[in-house]
Amino acid sequence: MRNFSSRYMRLPLLLIFAGSLLLGGCGDQRILEQVGLIQTTSYDLLPNGELKIAVAIPRVEAESNQEREVLRTSAPTSKQARIQMSRQTSLQLVSGQLRVTLLGKSFVQAGIGDHLDTQTRDPAISPLMKIAVVNGDAEQLLNQRYSQHPRTDLYIERLLGKESDSHSIPKATLYEFVRDYYDDGIDPVAPMIRRAGENIVIDGIALFKDDRYVGRIPEKDAMIFACLHGGFKQGELGIRLRKKEKSTEAVVLTSLVSSRSIKVTGAGDKMKVAIDMHLNATVSEYIGGDLKLGKPRDLKKLEQKISAYMAAQAELLVKKLQQAGADSIGIGSYVRNHMGYPAWKKTNWGERYPRIEVHCKVKTRINNVGKMK
Amino acid sequence: MEQGQQLTHILQQFDDCADFKHIAYPELNVDLLYFDHMIDAGKLSREVLSPLLSVTENEMASALARLTFTIKSENKEIVVAILSGSAALFHGGQAYIIDMYDPKGRAISQSETETTITGPHEAFSEPANSTLSLIRRRIRSSHLKCIRLQVGEVSKTDVYVLYVADIVNMDYVQELIRRIREIEIDAVHDTNMLVQLVDDKPASIFPQFYTTERPDAIASKLAGGRVVGVMDGSPFAFSAPTSLFEFFISSDDYYQRWSLGTATRILRFIAFIITILFTGIYVSVTTFHYEMIPQKLLLTLSESRSRVPFPPVYEALLMETVIELLREAGARLPTKIGQTIGIVGGIVIGQAAVQAGFTSNILIIVVASSAIASFVMPSFIMSASIRLIRFGLIVLAGIWGNLGITVGIAFLVIHLSHLTSLGSSYLTPVAPHKPGDWMDIFIRAPFKLLGKRPSQAKSPNPVRMKPKE
Repeated sequence: MRNFSSRYMRLPLLLIFAGSLLLGGCGDQRILEQVGLIQTTSYDLLPNGELKIAVAIPRVEAESNQEREVLRTSAPTSKQARIQMSRQTSLQLVSGQLRVTLLGKSFVQAGIGDHLDTQTRDPAISPLMKIAVVNGDAEQLLNQRYSQHPRTDLYIERLLGKESDSHSIPKATLYEFVRDYYDDGIDPVAPMIRRAGENIVIDGIALFKDDRYVGRIPEKDAMIFACLHGGFKQGELGIRLRKKEKSTEAVVLTSLVSSRSIKVTGAGDKMKVAIDMHLNATVSEYIGGDLKLGKPRDLKKLEQKISAYMAAQAELLVKKLQQAGADSIGIGSYVRNHMGYPAWKKTNWGERYPRIEVHCKVKTRINNVGKMK
Repeated sequence: MEQGQQLTHILQQFDDCADFKHIAYPELNVDLLYFDHMIDAGKLSREVLSPLLSVTENEMASALARLTFTIKSENKEIVVAILSGSAALFHGGQAYIIDMYDPKGRAISQSETETTITGPHEAFSEPANSTLSLIRRRIRSSHLKCIRLQVGEVSKTDVYVLYVADIVNMDYVQELIRRIREIEIDAVHDTNMLVQLVDDKPASIFPQFYTTERPDAIASKLAGGRVVGVMDGSPFAFSAPTSLFEFFISSDDYYQRWSLGTATRILRFIAFIITILFTGIYVSVTTFHYEMIPQKLLLTLSESRSRVPFPPVYEALLMETVIELLREAGARLPTKIGQTIGIVGGIVIGQAAVQAGFTSNILIIVVASSAIASFVMPSFIMSASIRLIRFGLIVLAGIWGNLGITVGIAFLVIHLSHLTSLGSSYLTPVAPHKPGDWMDIFIRAPFKLLGKRPSQAKSPNPVRMKPKE
């Protein structure tokens, strides 16, 4: 019994201790309806060198029919812009629900530089945040009301998510972008969007060299880029196999499974890069050709045609990348693995990359030609 | 005369006891003392009263010889015997004690607090002899031992300690008997009260004895090598040693196919987590961690929160209190009115509170589902304990967010690992780690895998089922 009472003797002390600890936590509450959840941010560069920053916040108050609020300001850095913007709103601005960052063309052309640092350093920002480059003015794209899509920020996010699921644009999240940025054997890429009347459309892929935008791949080549960039499991690809001038032979492949490997051979100036791609696909449409897909021999022919077409396109695309100086598919990292780190350190890869010889080889296999034989 | 003195003394003891009966046959020199509501009236008239009518004083000796009786000479013993339902017959300076005990208790009926769908539906009722008979009918073995103890200076309540010799670990039996003997209290009214007097840690929120009113559950505890206690006047029996996980087990698990039993058991563990954490997580997420809300829920959640005038922690405590009020009111009221309370509470308060902007509708879902989850617990005592823990976690979540919940869970785990039941760890078989028992704790494996008795029983005879060749 004595043991019992001595335990309760300590109780007041414990309560004081607990109370002082509890009261210490009252400062950093972020009650849901009192915070402005930034879902989309846009960055543009103004001619005077300042950043034009805009944020979109959903508004849910029952009395108001405004579904979102867009704040904008210009400031030298994004955190300073945050301070200025919070003067314009009744809500406490927080970035833990940030889903998309839109980078204006003016901003990426000048180089992102340290501005990514803000977003990678802030633990509240998810590494799954999507990055997209706007072909034009990012703030205008975000501020615009699209009559068919009441919430622009959600519209952009879903558009990017859906398209990257079908591999027609690369998956560019903050994590991937920063990883490729800091890795010296590969350059980051990001999807590009632009306004088209009442809609927003995917406008290809933005290529970066280090932190600077150097060019874009048109959306029709996006699928070939996806094959070069890495393997994927589910894709769709339309090809016009134009051999003769007047032929309209075209094939659409679905359930596309692609894998690629990069091999580096030789050393010094004789270094060669071979990219091997394997495609497995189902034919969902075959129009204008004279092949009978039910026959194994004709199927082989089609496979060869597709392989030849893809290889040619891929080589063209790699040439283009080399001209732009953007090592978006990561050839550099294979070269680095081939030559070893000390030798790589001595190589000026940025200068070497445009001159390196790259060959593409494609092997296609058609698993299934559909109901029609 | 000696008989006269003894009789007067005993009659003095029962002075002012209106329910006490004293029948005198002066011509036979016989006095009969008893409490008529404690004895079997038919048996009394058949075996004592009618023979007495037809005999003379000389024939008394032979009439008495036909009765079953014991002779007591000490006044104190005679008083105790009368109080325990015997009739005392005084004749010729001797006191004949005739056992007529027949407590008029409730009939054996279904369990109200631990209903099952399949399996036996009988439940214990208050008289100990009916409880003991239900147990002995299930374990027909002379190895089932039954030790009688008395608790309560005033109430003199009978407490029986039961165990199966050779299966039980006698250390537990001796420890339990020692603890019961040490109780010094005026009266004990229920088993659930008794076990708190013999608890290892009386200050804890968790029950340290498994109490049940199901005879099949008690029989399985006995066969599993645990000690069982039965108290006269309570429809609950208790078993020990017990662990936290035993409170998640229902007899139904064993009567259904093993896969269904396993699924239900996993469901109960999920329900446990929902009960203690769901409201707390709502509070911490809406107060501190808006990052954790899925995008699709964000708008609905902040829309319904935007009308609420209170911070989430007060909102949650308010609704939890309302739910507890409803539950307590429903438990105290007759069943029919209880249903009305459910409707009033569920529909009127729930719906109106949201429409009036008093709480958010997501919170109503959260609070209701954690209340429902708490009723999934087969043991009412445990279910009440974890409902109380939830309040602590809500307050911690409102002050520190997820950190607070983590601190709360850490304290809970520390406390649980500190607990013992009859000296054995409350967290067996997790700590100490006994993987062999897991088959019967976290899942309900097929019977061929449950060949061993639970390790917590420390049985000298651990094999329960002979493996098939």
